[in-house]
Amino acid sequence: MSLGPLRLRCLILLTLALVACAPAADEATLDNATVSIVIPYRPGGGFDRTVRAFAPYFAKQLGDGVTVLPENVPGAGGRRGAATVYRARPDGKTLGIFNMPGFVPPEILGEKVDYDLRELSWIGRLESQDYVLLISATSELQDLQGVRAAAELAFLSTGYGSSVLAASQIVAGQLGLSDREPIYLAGYAGTADYLVGLIRGDGNVALGPVSTSLKYIESGDLRPLAVTGDGSSLPGVPTFTELGYPDLAALDLQRSIAGPPGMDAQLLVTLREAFLRAVADPEFIKTARNARLDLSPLDGAATAAEVAQSFTYYAAFKTNLTNPNAL
Amino acid sequence: MLDSLLAAAAYLAQGVNLGYLALGVAVGIVFGSIPGLGGATAIALLLPLTFGMEPEQAIILMGGIMGAVSIGGSVSAILLNTPGTAPNAATCIDGYPLTRQGKAGLAIGAAATASSVGGILSLAILVMVLPVARTIVLWFGPPAFFMLAVLGLTSLTVASSNLLRGLIAACIGLFFGFVGYDDIGGTDRYTLGIDFLWDGISIVPLLIGLFAIAEMMNLYRAGGPISQSDDGATVRVVGTVDGIKAVFANPRTLASGSVIGAVIGMVPGVGGTVASFLSYSFAAQTSKNNENFGAGDVRGVIAPEAANNAKDGGALIPTLAFGIPGSAEMAIFLGVLILHGIDPGPMLLIERESTIFMLILALLFATIISGTLILVAARHLARIAHIDSLVLIPCVITVSLVGAYALHNAVGDVFVAAFFGVLGFLMIRLEYPRITLVIAFVLSSLMERNFIQSMIMFEGNWLRFFGDTTTLVLFFLTLFALSIPLLKFMRTRRAAQ
Repeated sequence: MSLGPLRLRCLILLTLALVACAPAADEATLDNATVSIVIPYRPGGGFDRTVRAFAPYFAKQLGDGVTVLPENVPGAGGRRGAATVYRARPDGKTLGIFNMPGFVPPEILGEKVDYDLRELSWIGRLESQDYVLLISATSELQDLQGVRAAAELAFLSTGYGSSVLAASQIVAGQLGLSDREPIYLAGYAGTADYLVGLIRGDGNVALGPVSTSLKYIESGDLRPLAVTGDGSSLPGVPTFTELGYPDLAALDLQRSIAGPPGMDAQLLVTLREAFLRAVADPEFIKTARNARLDLSPLDGAATAAEVAQSFTYYAAFKTNLTNPNAL
Repeated sequence: MLDSLLAAAAYLAQGVNLGYLALGVAVGIVFGSIPGLGGATAIALLLPLTFGMEPEQAIILMGGIMGAVSIGGSVSAILLNTPGTAPNAATCIDGYPLTRQGKAGLAIGAAATASSVGGILSLAILVMVLPVARTIVLWFGPPAFFMLAVLGLTSLTVASSNLLRGLIAACIGLFFGFVGYDDIGGTDRYTLGIDFLWDGISIVPLLIGLFAIAEMMNLYRAGGPISQSDDGATVRVVGTVDGIKAVFANPRTLASGSVIGAVIGMVPGVGGTVASFLSYSFAAQTSKNNENFGAGDVRGVIAPEAANNAKDGGALIPTLAFGIPGSAEMAIFLGVLILHGIDPGPMLLIERESTIFMLILALLFATIISGTLILVAARHLARIAHIDSLVLIPCVITVSLVGAYALHNAVGDVFVAAFFGVLGFLMIRLEYPRITLVIAFVLSSLMERNFIQSMIMFEGNWLRFFGDTTTLVLFFLTLFALSIPLLKFMRTRRAAQ
């Protein structure tokens, strides 16, 4: 075999390799509907799990031949995925799951983001869960009064820009701890990581989403002091409102679905109705229960109103939300 | 305990369940051997399939994948100098030189056997350690993690044949590791205003570039097939059986690799890449007659391969006991467990003993089955090394670039792979160790994040690093690693006198 033609073939194949790497062009037809739900994080996390559990039931309600495809678009702490949905054509084929209120503080603090959450076409809320204030079972602190009187406080959380750090800062502010300069030991990779850090004694207090924290409470490793929300989601644990901090009741975590701005009104109605039917499907409810989702469905209009409320709520705490560990 | 084990074995032995195991193994080998795909992608893709299954069946399927991936990945590392998965990168160091000498059969035989035995040993370690798993995970706070990263970096740099070039390569690795958003300080670094770089550079396209693409560029320059042995018969003569024998002829390398793999696997967030590199450098430093390491010593294949299958047993500990994934695959596997109503955490070890044994058995059999399959196929696989480079290069580059793109569906990753391809090619030409760059890259974020967290905990007083037993032990191990070249030098001088 001579080398000449082989070298040419080598170059042709290389060109084909590059072509293969180019993203496929959008399907132009509306009938052949494959609906992507953009997950702005890598596979394996809570948002990924929620979408993968929900997708088949949503597809069933959208009609025959419709496929719902979970699509991970990680990057820039979720901002890349959010921007992908915001910029997509409003044809109903690109939707996304949003970390609320996690995406709100960057907009309030005036950071450059390529989307406006208030302009999105909200389809509905899937999950919502309250926070619980936790200490280690071996901690010397006994209750919320003890936390307020502690000589040193170190809050554990994920990194700057996460809902948990923002919520911890708001709690510290409301409890009157700000001038005592608590330490914010941020940067843990996930909720389980900082809760184990709390068990280990890296710090002495942390705010955890109720469902993730529950297993550490049941195993006797962590002690709950107070929960957010209007009624206690943990039997026997007082709410912040009952303890005299009503402004903390509204702190929670939501996972809501939205499409790009400017969606056709009829299309939005179709998507919202399919969403409501899917979340009421007994089979989905069973799957959600097995997957430990904190199912708390809300229709599209109410979800849009909730997003607007989050902006008002977090704007009131703007001064608490700057990065405590900024260099 | 024995009842749970027997119940799990009986369940696994049912026909349909063995079918799921076989499917998992087949998918694992294929996804493991194609750079860029890997176990995490395979688990994510098969996840919807498990919706209709019993939780235990889903675990068997996923166990099949996890047990087979790293064995699949070792084949491309040995034959093409292209690690199928990140932990296989250390296998390239001695596996590929063996292929070039026409001894691919030997290397594949050794890799498959070492992987299987390493996997089995680590599962034995897992069963023994499970009762004290909690304590071990609780030993590692931010200061201990930081010191572990320092130990990893020190021992690897010291293992470089040329210390200065090793240090430079490590610095380049650290530099690229710091690209991206620092979520403690809240600043973005070296992102050049590109959103894609916010999450930093991914390890997979980096490895694809440094190894697969760089190696193909080098092969294009040299021409001819990978194997430099003209005698096609060599592949048959120096075959797989010698590889199997080599593993059992080096029990010390095998045992140390398995133990290092299992122990490092237990430390969440460190993962198999560090485990296999540490195991390699330990073998290269402490073996007798070690002058051939890096040029085709079969012990250089045994050590990392034993470690990278052994790490799965170890990585299950933080995953099951606390719900903290020890590796990328474990992160997605955690999702599978939760979707099926199994919530990893402190209660799981007590409440669902038989489920855990099911997973252990699935991993065990997957390791054995995939190892056997690779051994049977080794002779045919080894022929790849005799294909003309002008046919091989476009194939490997196509698969590599598609793999880089497929990881996150991001074109940026293709550019990252191409960039590191050129850098890797320059490093081959100028004889800089690419491995040291990779390990520094992997350890950079672990080291930085835990250093900053420790300093926040210690309120700026760095002396408090030495107030913790685990950290202190790791510190003395670092000092020991640093003293090895000095001890060797003194010994050579004494021998000369």
